[in-house]
Amino acid sequence: MEVLTPLLTVFAEPQLLALVALGTFAGIYVGAIPGLSVTMAVSILISFTFTWDVYPAISLMIGIYMGGVYGGARTAILLNIPGAPSAIATALDGYPMARRGEAGTAIGVTTVMSCIGGFVGIGVLALAAPLVSDFALRFQPRDYMLLALLGILLVGSLSTGSLVKGIFAGALGIAIGAVGRDPLTFTERFTFDLQILEGGISFIAVMIGMFGVSEALLQLHHVDKPAIRQKIDRIVPSLATVRKHLPLSLQTSTIGVVIGALPGTGGDIAALMAYDHAKRVTKHPERPFGDGAMEGLVAPETANNAAVGGAFIPMMTLGIPGDAVTAIMIGALFIHGLNPGPMLMIDRPEMFWFIVGALLTANVFMLIFGLTGIKLFTRIVEMPRSVLIPLILLLSIVGAYAVNNSIADVYWMLGFGVFGYFLRHYGYPLGPVILGVILSRLLDDNWRRAIISEREDLGRFFAGIFSSPLSTVLFIGVVLIFVSQTPLWRRLKARVLRPSGT
Amino acid sequence: MRRPDPDHHDGTADATPGGCDDARRPGELAFVVLLLLASLALLWSAYGISGFEALSAPGSVPMAATTAMVVTSMIVVLRTARLPRSAGETLRRDILPGVVVIFVLLLIAYALLLKPLGFLPTSGLFLMVSIRILSGRGWGFALTVSAGSLLAIWLIFRIVFTVLMPPGIVPEAEFIQIFRDLGAGGR
Repeated sequence: MEVLTPLLTVFAEPQLLALVALGTFAGIYVGAIPGLSVTMAVSILISFTFTWDVYPAISLMIGIYMGGVYGGARTAILLNIPGAPSAIATALDGYPMARRGEAGTAIGVTTVMSCIGGFVGIGVLALAAPLVSDFALRFQPRDYMLLALLGILLVGSLSTGSLVKGIFAGALGIAIGAVGRDPLTFTERFTFDLQILEGGISFIAVMIGMFGVSEALLQLHHVDKPAIRQKIDRIVPSLATVRKHLPLSLQTSTIGVVIGALPGTGGDIAALMAYDHAKRVTKHPERPFGDGAMEGLVAPETANNAAVGGAFIPMMTLGIPGDAVTAIMIGALFIHGLNPGPMLMIDRPEMFWFIVGALLTANVFMLIFGLTGIKLFTRIVEMPRSVLIPLILLLSIVGAYAVNNSIADVYWMLGFGVFGYFLRHYGYPLGPVILGVILSRLLDDNWRRAIISEREDLGRFFAGIFSSPLSTVLFIGVVLIFVSQTPLWRRLKARVLRPSGT
Repeated sequence: MRRPDPDHHDGTADATPGGCDDARRPGELAFVVLLLLASLALLWSAYGISGFEALSAPGSVPMAATTAMVVTSMIVVLRTARLPRSAGETLRRDILPGVVVIFVLLLIAYALLLKPLGFLPTSGLFLMVSIRILSGRGWGFALTVSAGSLLAIWLIFRIVFTVLMPPGIVPEAEFIQIFRDLGAGGR
């Protein structure tokens, strides 16, 4: 009963149900419109919903998140423009299908497969999170510190070619997060004796600047890009098609959940790995991959939606976000007075089950909205960028102002927006910056707790790491990321892979 | 690096930051040198927090973070300096086109005017000017579209989300009260 009641809260209150529906609907469009990302939408929304109760606010944001991950596929198929990073792999086979006049089939299959993937992910979340959080209660401060470090490094290393720039971005985030008075000793840090810096920099301002303004500024480069129309035929896929791809979809869903659950990796990487997997296991595709193979559509779409459930596992149980979007979801939970981490499952289990329920509902709405309303959809996606970009900028300003009613936040937001614009241009990933800002406090607190408990002795600290299997694994993970970037690793990999390669 | 399409090649998506791995983009060297200098300044500032007092001192994590920034930005500077210039890219066209500069200025103007003028007039002006610039169509179009979308934004955020924006010269609260009274009177 204690699980079922909160799980069904969404259905008990029509208002919440409507908000999930609205969120999912909006999310599909946000994900689909190139230039609008889910990260951007959720970061702006946080500032607008922070006066709401926690249930309605979370309902809306979960809807947007779920819908957004799916929505990116639409434009990937129709325009060859992935609306979200997790849809990059979808474009590889989706667009060729659309060019053959099978856009409707492609959208239909994507929708059903996203839904299957979503259910698998949520199922695993519901089963695994309570276990992980029991386990996480045994985490020592040093484990949290290592885990946070690992998360930032993973985001920095996996999303780009350059780990060095990723580390810079993560460290910058940690430094930004440390600005203001130290919560333990009230020492001023990075304040340069300026009063406005004493309270720290609002992470929502950083977030909106980096993901809202900088993205909108980049979009200014592509204002004149014309929209392309595609003919859309039947959408609901036949049962036979679904059944044929069910085994593959279950495999790729599993990949999605696992990748999503790793701290630092999200839907985009899950989708690409699933695509690779499909390529390897499908012996005789009806059409070659890259040329409109249905399998090439099934794999990434199940995986990226399964990754949503997966990404919620470390987020809810450890407070460690999987990627930029979950980092922002953590921000949202913080703002509503919830502390994601093992204690959340003990103090507020009903909140966890409510979120699971909301995710399930969003998944169903995604299926409904995905298979209907295509006509309206193509209209909205064709909204000209000359109108869209000013609107995004306006919303970013309103959002940054609304949180603290402070003009200073607007200036921070604009500053970080312009800075983020240059960072993007020169190949610095922005995900680690946000993760750094959000995890800075956790990292700092736990480092100090850990080192104080070892009587300020680094030798004892490392001895402690190697006396616990968990800490050892985490520590090796951190080291491996560094090693993987050195020439040594490449040589090693070449030697190991050569004999087995074909 | 993956470049799925020209639309996302310069960092439009979180997962695919822009930049070139094997060439130096215009202005990149200056930017990374600036980052290095800023990192050094921050490291100095972090050292000033508590020095090498103790491992658990408030300055330890900031110092570790800024040291990482200094080291990584040094590596980046060295790498970038060795790369050949990217062919066919210019600062004016690929990194900082005029339209981006104009928009940054417009945003600054917006932030400056928001308090004194109020949300509705400032946003109206901003939308009108920016849509006019971007769409290249007449003032009539810009006016209609910006008025329509401003009304929608105001309804959604002021009424549904109850976000309070600086009212400035427009007596917003009185407006809403009049409508409330009308609604109540009708009942």
